[in-house]
Amino acid sequence: MSLERATLFVGSARPTGESTSETLGRYLVDRLEGAGAKASIHRASHARKGTAERELMASLDDSDLFVLSTPLYVDSLPYLVTDALERIVARREFRGPDRPTGLLAIVNCGFPEADHTATAIDICRAFARRAGYAWRGGLGLGGGELIAGRPLDEVGWPARHAREALDLAAKALFEGRRVPERAIELMARPMIPHRLYTLVGDMRWRRTARRHGVGRRLDHRPYESPLEG
Amino acid sequence: MRALVLNGAKSGDDDLRAAEAALERELAAAGWEVGAVLLHRIMLAWCTGCFECWTKTPGECKTKDSAGDIARAMMASDLTVFLTPVTFGGYSSPLKKALDRLICLVSPFFQRIDGEVHHRKRYDRYPSLLGVGVLDEPDGEEERIFSTLVERNAINVHAPDHASLVLYHGTGRETAETLLRPFVERFTVRESA
Repeated sequence: MSLERATLFVGSARPTGESTSETLGRYLVDRLEGAGAKASIHRASHARKGTAERELMASLDDSDLFVLSTPLYVDSLPYLVTDALERIVARREFRGPDRPTGLLAIVNCGFPEADHTATAIDICRAFARRAGYAWRGGLGLGGGELIAGRPLDEVGWPARHAREALDLAAKALFEGRRVPERAIELMARPMIPHRLYTLVGDMRWRRTARRHGVGRRLDHRPYESPLEG
Repeated sequence: MRALVLNGAKSGDDDLRAAEAALERELAAAGWEVGAVLLHRIMLAWCTGCFECWTKTPGECKTKDSAGDIARAMMASDLTVFLTPVTFGGYSSPLKKALDRLICLVSPFFQRIDGEVHHRKRYDRYPSLLGVGVLDEPDGEEERIFSTLVERNAINVHAPDHASLVLYHGTGRETAETLLRPFVERFTVRESA
């Protein structure tokens, strides 16, 4: 049976259109819609407000697929996502799932290696078990700052593996299957060599700090303990 | 020796009381000066992912609330304890809200640690890390995730030593003290060396 309706939950706290999480989630959802499914998009930064929370919960109740696309914060899910998942699981424990629903997690991080996302994906899988979602898989992406809210087609060559991974994932999810291992492996491939990524990243921090007039204070230690030298 | 306990209990949740009391008692008995923060009771904004604590106000968040006090207390401690209901293997939302605000404690610049890229230290020394999770009942998967998460955090916050354990809801204070004692002893020996 093919997918009828999906809910995309964007876990980034960044403004609409500025997050890698939204880029990746939208790319996937666009393909699901292209195949004939309906989809709605909800944002973690809004989901704590009454109306938006009710809309999210209603959408999840009515969906066959929950797509969580989120950044990695301190090795796990951001506060806003943790809070939302706590409330979703509490609600589902209270009233039970309305229909069988699958969960796909897409986790991106600012480190070049996708491996950093493994624990957060494990947390999503544990959430799926607690909340009664069928686990459809987890896609981890490293080097997420290269995307920074741009559509994947605009990112060009570095995002080729991510596009292919999401194309494969969308096809499987539309058909009610788990994402294939090939999609997980493609998504985890480096967008550019690690050494180049860290070089560019470090240059970007310096450039941004200079623009803010603090280029010489990047190593500032405002909370240094009196015990330190 | 100073220990900071970040208590991630949720509002109206008494499950962590026995664990917190046992932890504070064991630490105090071993000679630690203990500070504790019940996170759901304090005003904290959530991290917006702007990275300005790295590039605009280096080392501190632009949002002025209790996060700065927590960061200062953590850097003045020798041991930080993350006390939390195990939530899908991870931390509760109140603890996670606080931790997300602490990325200012490391540098934006990258370094390799054991072949993997992480952020460099901002400070010369960091506290050790003890994760104490509380679960309703044994759950192998969530306990494994919790242990891995504490280990990964320890790398990223440059903790010189780390450990984790999971207690179960209903564990009495005396049992909790017995279970926590070897962990407290381990960090006490380390700091006394």
